[in-house]
Amino acid sequence: MKLRDMLRMSASSLWKRKIRTVLTVLGVVIGTASIVVMISLGLGLKRASLEEIEQYGGLTSVTVMEKDAFDMDASDAGGQKKKQATQHLDDKVLDTIRQVDHVEYAYPVLEAEAMILYGGYQCYTTLRGMPAESMEYLKLNLGQGSLPKPGDEQLSLVFGNGIIGDFYNEKTGQSYWSDGKLPDIDLMESPLMYVLDTENYYNFLWGGSGEEGSTAAMPKKYMFPTSGVLAGSVEDYNSNSYAVWCDLEALKKVLKKEFRNRSIPGQPTSASGKPMKEIFYNSIMVGVDDMDHVKEVQNTISQLGYSAESNAEWVESMQGQYQSIQLALGGIGAVSLLVAAIGIANTMMMSIYERTREIGIMKVLGCDMKNIQGMFLLEAGYIGLIGGLIGTGVSYGLSAVINTLMSTEGSGIDLAAASGISYIPGWLSLLAIGFAVIVGMVAGFFPSLRAMRLSPLAAIRNE
Amino acid sequence: MDRAVIAVSDLYKIYRVGENRVRALDGVSFQVRRGEFCSIVGTSGSGKSTLLNMLAGLEKPTKGKIIIAGEHIEKKSENQLVAFRRKHIGFVFQSFNLMPSMNALENVALPLTFQGIDKKKRLEMAAEVLDLVGLSSHKNHKPTQMSGGQQQRVGIARALVVSPEIIFADEPTGNLDSRTSAEVMELIREIITKKNQTLVMVTHDDHLASFADRIFRIMDGRIIGIEETGRRKTT
Repeated sequence: MKLRDMLRMSASSLWKRKIRTVLTVLGVVIGTASIVVMISLGLGLKRASLEEIEQYGGLTSVTVMEKDAFDMDASDAGGQKKKQATQHLDDKVLDTIRQVDHVEYAYPVLEAEAMILYGGYQCYTTLRGMPAESMEYLKLNLGQGSLPKPGDEQLSLVFGNGIIGDFYNEKTGQSYWSDGKLPDIDLMESPLMYVLDTENYYNFLWGGSGEEGSTAAMPKKYMFPTSGVLAGSVEDYNSNSYAVWCDLEALKKVLKKEFRNRSIPGQPTSASGKPMKEIFYNSIMVGVDDMDHVKEVQNTISQLGYSAESNAEWVESMQGQYQSIQLALGGIGAVSLLVAAIGIANTMMMSIYERTREIGIMKVLGCDMKNIQGMFLLEAGYIGLIGGLIGTGVSYGLSAVINTLMSTEGSGIDLAAASGISYIPGWLSLLAIGFAVIVGMVAGFFPSLRAMRLSPLAAIRNE
Repeated sequence: MDRAVIAVSDLYKIYRVGENRVRALDGVSFQVRRGEFCSIVGTSGSGKSTLLNMLAGLEKPTKGKIIIAGEHIEKKSENQLVAFRRKHIGFVFQSFNLMPSMNALENVALPLTFQGIDKKKRLEMAAEVLDLVGLSSHKNHKPTQMSGGQQQRVGIARALVVSPEIIFADEPTGNLDSRTSAEVMELIREIITKKNQTLVMVTHDDHLASFADRIFRIMDGRIIGIEETGRRKTT
């Protein structure tokens, strides 16, 4: 018997019993929809949490720093010897890290403290110098201006959108976070002054108040142009909101000029306390090709003798947590699909009792037993398929309803609501439909076996 | 003489009814020649239906041999029996047993569906047989829209469509009035003679039995007499 004929006969016998078919399908619709919606909630929560992690510095980045000398001392009795072996981050290290498997890119970061002064306001911050050509990896969303160009002689800065909130009034000490008033500073246009030797700046201030009694002079002030400011208001937080970037080479040049013959704050010194010739990096940022390889890269770099940090552990524990939530939610949904499966089995049994004679006739006329079983399995499969299709459609509707309800109720801060708490990826709907078909066929298996074994004599008996 | 297309020897069927054993068939042996029309006649409970069921492989004998078209029926599994019926046997039921949701044409084409024949081809074949039984104008009628006689013609067409070597008929006119019965019997006879097919018919009606070439009289599970009617044209 041809499969096409079997499909046709199964479909027509379902069509003959429309009401019963509709009711049975309804059970599958509810079952499928509840599973899909439940899992979509789990997936939505997971996605929201991953997005949240992304806000805190990305899922695929590893931060490499010098191994802390203090840690070494604590972990090893021969700390003194090891301390000398502390490996500073330089271009050689950068090259080594670039060779590690799964590393997509790596760039150095040099940090320098700075005090920004303008019109009675000041802001203490850290300038992050990195190669201008690597700034694209930060995926910065610029609101105004542009990124510094590679090879620019002039140091120019890019401000995070939250920096403006860090400016405080020199006299009153008030800032946006204490009085809610944004200082009258246009980061792009106002001529901002920078003090790089912050230690002496404080000495100067304190000296002025007479406490120190020293003759600290006001350190040199520089004026750097602003090349760009990130989009977003002062209250929009992400990992870049409070950072100030500039080109690495330009920063190096300025620092060398400011601290000529002196040690640059934050830089290592030789054993005798003299400044080193080279300027070392504070950290190296590493981009990994895939979230799954972060842990591996992190371990490799640690073994090279550096401290490597990433969000991998956070992500892992988060994922484990959401996996169990998803399982629990899916389990609740599965119960209703189980009920639907019992409904299918019941419908099929009823149908077989009704069609005992019909099955007998088919057997007398030479219909293969496998074909008879196949037709009943297909019938059950059809119920699953139709129920699965409609159920998945219903889930998309429910998902949309849940998302609109959640986003109108929750405030803008709610991260989960931003991208929707219920999320149905394509694979989930395909899986749900496939699962419904399988459930239908499993439920129809024993009835179909029974149909196959019915005696052909039933057809002969005369009523 | 044609070789025997059906050979039954020493056939027993014993049912247990409570404490008692009922011998539905009690040592039956006979042969049917190719192209022959045989009637099995007996009263209700004589064992005639049991015999037919066993010949068609719908029931297993307790003991004995049945050879049909050269194959031992009693040794076959149920699935093999289905395949055997599909290839060699047509069946006409007393209560027609047409599929109520299908029209005449689809009903006749049903056994061809089981053989895996294409829809277009099988509907053509079915139409041809329906023409043969004189139902050219009722091809799209559902069973409920037809008279008993017309329904049984559809039933006969369905048995004939696969060109079986042997046709079994279980009281084929049992649900028809006597005039229609005679018409149906004439039709069956005409067609099988034309195609040299073998027909075994079970009936309780002596008059209908007399349409056959030979009549087996059965009583209490034994054949008590075989009559030649002399209708068969000897060639």
